[in-house]
Amino acid sequence: MTQIIIQGLLLSGLYALIAMGFMLIFSIGRVLNLAYGAYLMVGGYVYFWVSQQLGLPQIIGIAAATMMGVIMGLLKHRLIVKPLKGDHVAVEISTLILAVVMQAGVVLVFGDASKILLPIVPGVTQIEGAAVTYNILVAAIISWIIIIGLYVFVRNTYTGRAMQAVSMDEKGAAISGIDPDRVNLITWGISGGLGAVGGVFFASYTQLSPTMWVGPLIISVAIVIVGGIGSIMGTLIVAHIIGFLEVIVVAKLAPELRGVFTMLLIIFVLVLRPQGLFGREEAH
Amino acid sequence: MNLRWYHFLLWAAFAATLMLMPELVSKGTLRTMIFACYLAIFAVSWDLLSGRTGYISFGHPFLIGIGAYTTAILSKRFDVPLELSIPIAVVVTMIGGLIVLLPALRIKGSYFALVTLAYMELIYQLTQVVRPDLTGGTRGISGIETLTRGAVNGYYLAATLLIILTIFSWALMRTRIGTALWAIGMNEESVRGSGLSTTKLKCFAFLASAFVAGLGGAFYVHYLGSIAPRALFDINFLFTILVAVLIGGAGTIIGPVMGAFFLVFLLEWLRPWLPGAERYFIYGLIALVIYMYEPKGIIRIFSNLLGKLRGANK
Repeated sequence: MTQIIIQGLLLSGLYALIAMGFMLIFSIGRVLNLAYGAYLMVGGYVYFWVSQQLGLPQIIGIAAATMMGVIMGLLKHRLIVKPLKGDHVAVEISTLILAVVMQAGVVLVFGDASKILLPIVPGVTQIEGAAVTYNILVAAIISWIIIIGLYVFVRNTYTGRAMQAVSMDEKGAAISGIDPDRVNLITWGISGGLGAVGGVFFASYTQLSPTMWVGPLIISVAIVIVGGIGSIMGTLIVAHIIGFLEVIVVAKLAPELRGVFTMLLIIFVLVLRPQGLFGREEAH
Repeated sequence: MNLRWYHFLLWAAFAATLMLMPELVSKGTLRTMIFACYLAIFAVSWDLLSGRTGYISFGHPFLIGIGAYTTAILSKRFDVPLELSIPIAVVVTMIGGLIVLLPALRIKGSYFALVTLAYMELIYQLTQVVRPDLTGGTRGISGIETLTRGAVNGYYLAATLLIILTIFSWALMRTRIGTALWAIGMNEESVRGSGLSTTKLKCFAFLASAFVAGLGGAFYVHYLGSIAPRALFDINFLFTILVAVLIGGAGTIIGPVMGAFFLVFLLEWLRPWLPGAERYFIYGLIALVIYMYEPKGIIRIFSNLLGKLRGANK
């Protein structure tokens, strides 16, 4: 029981971090960035390259991964999202194509085989009789720090509030003197950075492989869809629902059924309550 | 229907080109063309549904997989003859199409696309866990009875199927129902406003699409002789279908066929330089550039060029 609670809390923290970046984009532009999983993959690989192949300190690896994520986010907004002028389906399709391109790019550079990341922080500790690696513990703690930081940023800074405004009503925000285009650009950058950091931890939790982007993408989609638009709290709560759901299914039923209930949850919530459990009602 | 003499001429030329191929190309190329034919069938199936009505399905592998698995399980595990198992597979796929239809009655756009994506992941995980004695679990089923022997026969079967299904789909889309489906893609409310039942129309589109997907999937598995969950219920497979349609030109039936052949041959030409999955890097980039430049596909680029030439002649 304690084992399940601890495992669930740790996994959920990681999921919440992964889903945050995806949620930001979805709230602000109503577009699903299907290449989001590829940020995680590229983040993980950049960290692997810098810290394990070049042998530089890990903090530089994480910083490099974050930079890469931010750059990818900015580029994607400028080169794909903006030229498509808010055509949601077109953005989704082109980001899906982009994700496969990035997957192939990773295969081109690093090869097909999956790679094991060394733990970011080595060692194992015992909490209430449950073995917990320092690695996942640190990942969960850093996730929480980033999430709280994001919450404060969105709530209290000018840019954060501008992001909220654009997410609620783009025209209204523009009338109040906010440049929606600039806010969008910043959000894509932040989302890319969050994705890449999440990817470093996610890769150290599982492993690095060119197909690793699909899993976290589906989890982010599930969390954001079930959580609803524009709600950091909703995202956080649903990340815990899904994290615990997975841990309980793995422990009590069968490890192979891990994703089945997540998928069923998405289908049911989308069909019964398309605005999500915690999202606000859409005007149209 | 509004048929013209040149329609017959173009379709005859299309069928004749496909049928003459075995005389012109080598056995190896022919195997590539078989894959292109099946991909074209899947692309046409996607186009019937999503190209017209605007309900973007990310779960098409779900339908194709149902068709393929049903006939594979029936023929391999229960010794049902193929003449029976393939029609059953098509019917089961059409029932699957109705399952995909259910969310489409309430939600659309991105949300609908996501539900279908969830369907695909769901069935991918279920095939591995539920009754592995039937589905073969992660490893899938091999040694499935094949319909034909040799590349030439396999090609004739695939090409015939492709010709029949494209002409069927094309004719279907030129009827009043096809026009109504177009209208749904443009403005669903006004279709309802003009007194048509959008539910019935959508139901029809999903069934037609599932019919083509199921038939294609069933014949494909009896050509390959094996089936595995990761080969079918995979984002990369979905990507290949989507890209074929979009590069060719959505909503045109013949566009997706052209797109499928273009892409399969592009992949083959890249093989000497890039043997593995890296090929998708170039393939995807080309797809992305074409899609960003002209979302309506090659067919639109051609017709624009043609229009310009005509304009220049005047």
